[in-house]
Amino acid sequence: MRLLQVSLRSLLLYSLILVLISIPISIFSIRQIINEELDESLALHTNQFVKHIKSYEYLEDLEMDLKIWDQLSYDIILIPSNVTSAEQKYETLSMYDSIEHESHPFRTLSTSVVIKDKAYLLTIRMSLVDNDELVIALGIVQVILILLLAVGLLLLNRSLTRKLWKPFYNTLNQLKAYQLDKCESIQPEKTNIVEFDDLNRTVSHLTDRNRKVYLEQKEFIENASHELQTPLSIFQSKLDNLMQIPGLTEADAATILDLEETAQRMARLNKNLLLLSKIENDQFNEVEEIDLSALANKLLSNLQPMADIDNISVQTVINPLSIIANSTLLEVLFTNLFHNAIRHTNANGNVRVEITDRVLIVANTGNPLKMSPEKIFERFSKEGRSENSSGLGLAIVKKICDTSLYHLSYNFQSGVHTFSVTF
Amino acid sequence: MKILIIEDEKQLVKSMAQFLRQESYVCEVAYTASDANEKILLFDYDCILLDISLPDGNGLKILEKLRANNKADGVIMITAKGSFDDRIAGLNLGADDYLPKPFYLPELSARISAVIRRKRFDGNNKISFHEIEVDLLGKTVSVNGKEIELTRKEYDLLVFVIANKNRVVSKNAIAEHLSGDDAELMDKFDFIYSHIKNLKKKLTEAGCEDYIKTVYGLGYKFTA
Repeated sequence: MRLLQVSLRSLLLYSLILVLISIPISIFSIRQIINEELDESLALHTNQFVKHIKSYEYLEDLEMDLKIWDQLSYDIILIPSNVTSAEQKYETLSMYDSIEHESHPFRTLSTSVVIKDKAYLLTIRMSLVDNDELVIALGIVQVILILLLAVGLLLLNRSLTRKLWKPFYNTLNQLKAYQLDKCESIQPEKTNIVEFDDLNRTVSHLTDRNRKVYLEQKEFIENASHELQTPLSIFQSKLDNLMQIPGLTEADAATILDLEETAQRMARLNKNLLLLSKIENDQFNEVEEIDLSALANKLLSNLQPMADIDNISVQTVINPLSIIANSTLLEVLFTNLFHNAIRHTNANGNVRVEITDRVLIVANTGNPLKMSPEKIFERFSKEGRSENSSGLGLAIVKKICDTSLYHLSYNFQSGVHTFSVTF
Repeated sequence: MKILIIEDEKQLVKSMAQFLRQESYVCEVAYTASDANEKILLFDYDCILLDISLPDGNGLKILEKLRANNKADGVIMITAKGSFDDRIAGLNLGADDYLPKPFYLPELSARISAVIRRKRFDGNNKISFHEIEVDLLGKTVSVNGKEIELTRKEYDLLVFVIANKNRVVSKNAIAEHLSGDDAELMDKFDFIYSHIKNLKKKLTEAGCEDYIKTVYGLGYKFTA
């Protein structure tokens, strides 16, 4: 859920509650005000009525007149009573209206009056607004209010998202697209909002620093590899000279050979690290059209002697395919995949190489992986047995596919490891 | 034959010189670019081994100076920075070969003899060892004047061991020489046994003496 939607939700909820609470409060207060007003005018009416009646006290049959008057008037009831009290009584009563056939609320004021020494009960009433009608009227007004509020907030929210949050989404999109090894740095646009400028500054600072650390790290690996080349050369050259000493014993020779194999392992490891950092540094950027089928056939024939040692059969289904790419990278990619396949095939197993429809498939029979398949392309993740493996071959394959935007996948099914590269 | 080694790593220079002297090369050494600049103008060398990164200058500058003075010395660039650009620049400036560190001394030796042969014998480029004669241009091998059929790998192998005659060459050095340097290296070196075996068989069948001797588990030695 978007941030503005969350705030909009709270706003809407708050308004709704407020409006709902306001309905009974308004009804109550309106009713209260109306009652007070009515009570005042009832008192006034009563007063005047009594004053008027008093001025007619000289009439002989006032009593009779009053009786008739009571019959005629709708709002005034004057009935004889035997109780005399000074107090006035305000009441809200529901009375049946015989014309409209429904009850109506009335406000009444009952007062005891004495006319010609006779006690009467004077009740003056006034019609009140129907409660239900009031509720409905108020309800309609409030519902319209809620609707206007909601629509208004929604529209406001939408334009705010579009305008106000635009710099934020710009930065976010830049961050999403950011790749440490490719992008230089994030250049967010200037805004007038303090928070966004702050965010942008922090993001720029962070990416710049990360990039700097990354570049330093990369440079370090490359320099370290370069620096190691010379000592490795010295080591190797001393061994080459050592071998020439006449009359070496078999034990001496074995030691020298072990040393040489170790030196070679170091050299290979170093060379692969250097290759990896060169690929990362994009130093293989010259491209040309390459005939993949010819390349695959050439490399496979180079590796055939290795396959022959363990009696591994290599089957090929190679259709013509040419792509534009860097020749060194492709050669390394192919060699590493083929080499990996032959290395991990058991004796008398077989390797299958296919090139069809821009897809290279290298499959070999072999034991299931001991490590998890996700780790297969990681640096220095080795499947034990071959101590001569640098553990970088497939990492280099992965790196080449990543930088060249090839799709690389691996799976293991019924005893067959399959690598496929989609160009 | 005179070789100039321009390299600032004294230990490496010592080993290179020790190895090359066995083949009766005369080795001179320059540890700095200024020293090297002086030497290349005063003397002629059959081959110059040139390290590109020197403490007081770039080796490419020395190469430039050499060619500017019309010196025809063979040059093999040796560098720890195996960058493609350096390689191209060097070869464009007229270097004859390029060898990235680390390398095997037998490989260096083979490259040196190839460069010297190319400089010395234009047109008729042949090496011979007793009854074996190798025509480097036609890439053919004959024993007692009779040509024998060799595969490309067997031919490369023979030229390599002849260039390192009387010296022990390890199977790793042979494997690297045969497989080239731009690929993930083989870890099953056994395949060179079959090349050696086939080569020996073809040579002895043609009436050649068996010069390729196995040295313990170390490697091979081509010797009379």
